[in-house]
Amino acid sequence: MNRLTFISKLKDTLELEENLSGNTNFKELDEWDSMTGMMLMGFVDNEFGVSLNTADLEALTTIDSLIERIGTDKFEE
Amino acid sequence: MGAVIKNIEYVFPNNRVSNEDLSEIFPDYDFSKFEEKIGIAARYWVSKEETAFDLAKRACEKLLKNVSLHSIDFLLYCTQSPDYFLPTTACILQHELGLNKNIGALDFNLGCSGFTYGVSLAKSLINSGQARNVLLVTAETYSKYLHPKDHSNRAIFGDAAAATLISFSEEEHIGNFLFGTDGGGYDKLIIRNGAAKHPYQADAQEKQYGSNNFYTENHLYMDGPEIFKFTSDNIPDFVKKILNVERKEIENVNQFIFHQANAFMLDFMRRKLNINKDNFYINLKEGGNTVSCTIPIALKEYSKQIDEEQTILLVGFGVGLSWSGGLIKLKYTL
Repeated sequence: MNRLTFISKLKDTLELEENLSGNTNFKELDEWDSMTGMMLMGFVDNEFGVSLNTADLEALTTIDSLIERIGTDKFEE
Repeated sequence: MGAVIKNIEYVFPNNRVSNEDLSEIFPDYDFSKFEEKIGIAARYWVSKEETAFDLAKRACEKLLKNVSLHSIDFLLYCTQSPDYFLPTTACILQHELGLNKNIGALDFNLGCSGFTYGVSLAKSLINSGQARNVLLVTAETYSKYLHPKDHSNRAIFGDAAAATLISFSEEEHIGNFLFGTDGGGYDKLIIRNGAAKHPYQADAQEKQYGSNNFYTENHLYMDGPEIFKFTSDNIPDFVKKILNVERKEIENVNQFIFHQANAFMLDFMRRKLNINKDNFYINLKEGGNTVSCTIPIALKEYSKQIDEEQTILLVGFGVGLSWSGGLIKLKYTL
């Protein structure tokens, strides 16, 4: 998956209103709460087989930071 | 020779709390999205004077309308909301129900894995010849432990009690149950104060967590993301292990009934295991997460559509951390 597809899937899965970019900060989204956090964990696990924990969610800032946590090698150029 | 689940009855408290009711208390929280994702429309909470024991008694009385009182020769009572530190709640229940005095009765402290544990314990008591009719009671009132401003847990947890009769049978209807334990996660779902380790603190500090929720260490604390991670990391593989031991495939199971924790998490696991929607039970709309009562409630409701023998896989998981499950066979409405 490339970054653009990832970002667009993320928007659909988390049912976010705002347009997203790599700089979008999760914590600043209107929709961000623990339920959205859980949906994000499910999405990342489904798509990449990466299991996030509470510390990951707490440390999470931008979408770029999430991509880094997942591993940039898992994204196509 | 073996054991079989014969009857189940359950009760909720009278006080029904809808999402609309909660919206009035927590106007900033989007309960319509909550209902869509988590699948809960209403939960029931006991009144101040009412306890899990009261619910348990009502559920047992309902069951004993169709079962001979004096046939019960063992009482298993699962709760994390006992009436007293001591004595054992099961002893009081024996007396209040008028059960025989020559029976065994004990409490066991488990949460969401409690029902499946209880079924396995009942089967063992029956198969070892120590009992013929085991009354398994699960009764829980987490509402008493929730902080008034903890909207997430208030939305998720409901109170209930369920009474299940497991009896001797010529044929075995209860499979080889498996278990899992990881006390390393003991603090992911916990009430710290009020028992021996940390006394109840009248002036406990209010703390914020998750999405603008509050609790003190006198209240129930749940690290939602960690519980989600524990469940999604462990339960799908555990289900495969159960199938493996029983030499069954996903396709051989008519219905998967997991602990009804939340609809999103259940559907996530369903997909991970590639189970069809029709074969996977998700219904916690009315009642919410009632801890050790969700599986008997689900099983009773699901059994209404059974007209021939079905294989059902039950799995409970949660606080402890603790999990257990196995296959049962059922051919009638409970």
